[in-house]
Amino acid sequence: MLINTVLLFLHNALPIFIITALLLLKFPLELTNKVKMKWLLALILTTLFTFILSANLENISQTFVGKGVELLYSLGLLFVYCASITLFMRNATLDNTMTKWLSAFVIFFIISCLNGAQFITYLTSYWAQTQQIESLLIGIILGGGICLSIAILFYFLLRYADQKIYPAISNHFLLFFIIGQLMHAIILLQQVDILPSSQPLWDSSQFIAENSEFGQLLTVLFGYESTPSFLQLIIYMIAFIIPVMFRNSKVIFLSLRGEQP
Amino acid sequence: MINVLLVRYIKIIGVSFLLIFSFNTHAKRPEYHIEIKNHLFYPAEIIIPANKKVKLVIFNHDNKAEEFDSFSLNREKVIFPHRSATIFIGPLSEGEYDFFGEFHPHSARGKVVVIKQVNLKKIVTGE
Repeated sequence: MLINTVLLFLHNALPIFIITALLLLKFPLELTNKVKMKWLLALILTTLFTFILSANLENISQTFVGKGVELLYSLGLLFVYCASITLFMRNATLDNTMTKWLSAFVIFFIISCLNGAQFITYLTSYWAQTQQIESLLIGIILGGGICLSIAILFYFLLRYADQKIYPAISNHFLLFFIIGQLMHAIILLQQVDILPSSQPLWDSSQFIAENSEFGQLLTVLFGYESTPSFLQLIIYMIAFIIPVMFRNSKVIFLSLRGEQP
Repeated sequence: MINVLLVRYIKIIGVSFLLIFSFNTHAKRPEYHIEIKNHLFYPAEIIIPANKKVKLVIFNHDNKAEEFDSFSLNREKVIFPHRSATIFIGPLSEGEYDFFGEFHPHSARGKVVVIKQVNLKKIVTGE
């Protein structure tokens, strides 16, 4: 029960912690009262919608011939990917346009609602069937602590890397994280036969098993998959190349014309 | 000119998505049924043909939710009390693929056995 609860946190709650840390890196630390109000409002709205979604997950699961949850999650994660492209192209911390704020809110809102609703469903189910309340509570404290520690660690590591190594490291990390979420959407669409499945290209579970703690962490951070299909690999590559090309389109165009960027 | 390039990228993405979706022809899939009773899977073992996508219909008779979970099949789906859920698995190569109920991992366990189509026919006809 203890390990299960910790894994539950890594699987469903860690993405919320990580995305919060990554989005905080995108905005200046000195917050005005107006900005604080914006964040607070976003937090209240997200919490409210998470509980509403969690309460209605059962009914949603019965819609679209039993494909409702998968379709909702995939659509949500596709929106997140589109919003992340906008954010990826607006790297500068001082750029505080409405588009940047809106993109950040869409990413935070959708990721938190989708993962939070599942997290609540799992936690209430565990709570209802367990006789080991003590282990569950320790698991919650441990899991919450691990998630918070990882998020803080990533926040300071990426901030340091941005300042000392290369200014866009956290930006690329955000992109990989969102592509990881997009991979989850692809698996969901394959699960309900909307996208085709094929034999896995390789099996790396002997090196890093997906059900291990490290495997779960890699899955959350980069969408690690021990048995990826051809379609998953292609989409992963395209999903990375497109934003990078968008961002460097000016340089690419000038290079094609033989001019100096 | 940059806009022309961007429009071209968007067209390429659009066509790629259309191609991906068009490849997935919705043929009638072989259907297999699993029931969850008292936190156990019935049957706990299902035999399916190799290299073929199949449809799994899981009905939860219990009063509590259960999650069908499998790392080897790469599938996870919550099945709410007295509700059914459908998932598609495969195409798979020959072998055994474990699955379990995440909320009762000690009792709710089962496996998908994948064998060649010819061998499956022999089992069905009793040869």
